[in-house]
Amino acid sequence: MTYEAPLEKHPVNIREVVLGEGEKAQKIGGENTFPFHSFEGSLPNPPGLALEVLDMQPENWATWALDPFKDVSSDPVEWARKGVEEYGAEILCLRLLSTDPMGMDAAPEEAAKTVRKIVDSLNIPLIVLGTGTEDKDSKVLIEVARACSGKNLLLGPVLKGNYQEIAKAALEHGHAIVAQASMDANLTKELNIALCKFFPPEKIVVDPTSSALGYGMEYTFSIIESIKQFGLVDKDKMMQMPVFADIGIECWRTKEARESAEQGILWEATTGMTFLLAGANLVVFRHPEALRLIKSMISY
Amino acid sequence: MILIGEDLNVMSNAISKAIKEHNAEPIRACVEGQAGNGMDYLDLNVGPQKKDPAQTMEWLVNTVQEFTDLPLCLDTTNTVAMEAGLKLCKKKGLVNSASGVRESMETVMPLSKKYSAALVLSVINDAGLPSDADERAGSILESLEYANELGIANEDIWIDPVLMPVGVDQRQILSYMEFIQMIPDLAPGAKSVCGLSNLSYSAPKELRGLLNRTFMVIIARYGQDAAIVSGFDEELVRLNKGEMPEIVNLIHRAMDEEDMDISALSGKEQEYVKTTQVLMGKTLYSNSWLEV
Repeated sequence: MTYEAPLEKHPVNIREVVLGEGEKAQKIGGENTFPFHSFEGSLPNPPGLALEVLDMQPENWATWALDPFKDVSSDPVEWARKGVEEYGAEILCLRLLSTDPMGMDAAPEEAAKTVRKIVDSLNIPLIVLGTGTEDKDSKVLIEVARACSGKNLLLGPVLKGNYQEIAKAALEHGHAIVAQASMDANLTKELNIALCKFFPPEKIVVDPTSSALGYGMEYTFSIIESIKQFGLVDKDKMMQMPVFADIGIECWRTKEARESAEQGILWEATTGMTFLLAGANLVVFRHPEALRLIKSMISY
Repeated sequence: MILIGEDLNVMSNAISKAIKEHNAEPIRACVEGQAGNGMDYLDLNVGPQKKDPAQTMEWLVNTVQEFTDLPLCLDTTNTVAMEAGLKLCKKKGLVNSASGVRESMETVMPLSKKYSAALVLSVINDAGLPSDADERAGSILESLEYANELGIANEDIWIDPVLMPVGVDQRQILSYMEFIQMIPDLAPGAKSVCGLSNLSYSAPKELRGLLNRTFMVIIARYGQDAAIVSGFDEELVRLNKGEMPEIVNLIHRAMDEEDMDISALSGKEQEYVKTTQVLMGKTLYSNSWLEV
């Protein structure tokens, strides 16, 4: 008698979300099975791996975190270009740190200009993140949406307190959004329900927020895993969005990452791989070497 | 199901003020309102009551008993207040509550015995809140044994499995339902009781009643004996009295996952069906569960 391993089949898919436009556009999500379970179902798109770029000179970064970009770190366009041309990034994540109201508090128009320059010079899929400050982010991201109309950026984070304004601008100008609800599947669902009243579900990526290895990574793992289970096993339409994990910023603020270059890179790669195993569809890395390690691990 | 009205509670500013000022009128309104709505017991929640515990509870018990003949459920973590209240109860009172925590067993349980009052006994123990039905069973068996040895019979024990908010962990709701069905075997003669409103903690205010009422119907079917409830919810009382059999029947059908055409139902019926599906763990809860 031959043994046949039982297979779990799910009749639904995680939604496929397109990032960017034109030749270099990338798709994420679309799977009808759990991460790397290619023996059980279909995983049409590999996870999206993005490299982080700041729109201003970083402060207080560990030397080794900045080393790969130290010659270009004062110019976000050149930083972005180096990420793509030298380190092979296929998706970029631009963090508009200059707009932080507790920091430089740059004007939305200034930030939008930088985004537009990067879009024009590189034309690869671009995630654009504010600073998580509801009021300011809504002004900034609305301006970015306008300035890059039709470029299909991924804008975020969209929160409970500003989703209406930002999603409306994203809809009008043809962008996707990152809907963020911190570490809570119930709140993730609530925000998706609110968004889907006027925003297309196939343009939403969810962010349950990330914690680094040693700083609550298990919680993030569980929440990513459960979001995917609610979507695939329970067939909950409001939980079938691809999952976003913004890990570079979390990993590189840990004491351990700041102790040595090797430790920092492994900290980030380990956290990133863990979330990919949980089901993350799009992960943001800060260090090109961490990104390269992950790429080599998951290429098949 | 035996209904215990929860509205005499120091968490309410009006009640807290009335107790502090020994002003009987707001107390009268709260007592008569709940009694008029059909409560079987009234819960007197004075919290930890650090200041003048005995005098406060004495005044409250005497005042409440001027306005009603209903039996009282004394709800305080202060044993001095508890004892002062028990001395004055005209009808057999209910001590709310003891748990399997060592200190509680040693200080609260003896009061129930001394004043021949019934005892709410929660499954919490020194290790915290048990995470599933089996752990709840293990915890309650230990504290029951202790209570029985003190001379408190199962017939005087109301077991509280501890109901967690649906927005916190839906699986806890399922293990709650599993556990109440085990009670008749674990503790023959004992009753089950819960703080029903805790279920909807953190849910939108206008929807809390719907969650609480639906869950009451669900657990009634599984043999729940009593619940501490919002004393002014008229629909809850009507459901409990069997005056809304069509809604009860609909909730039962949703529990049984019977195929039904939701769109053919009235708005109110749809709400009860969707809420049942959430509480039975069929759909992930969110604060906007009615909107999908």
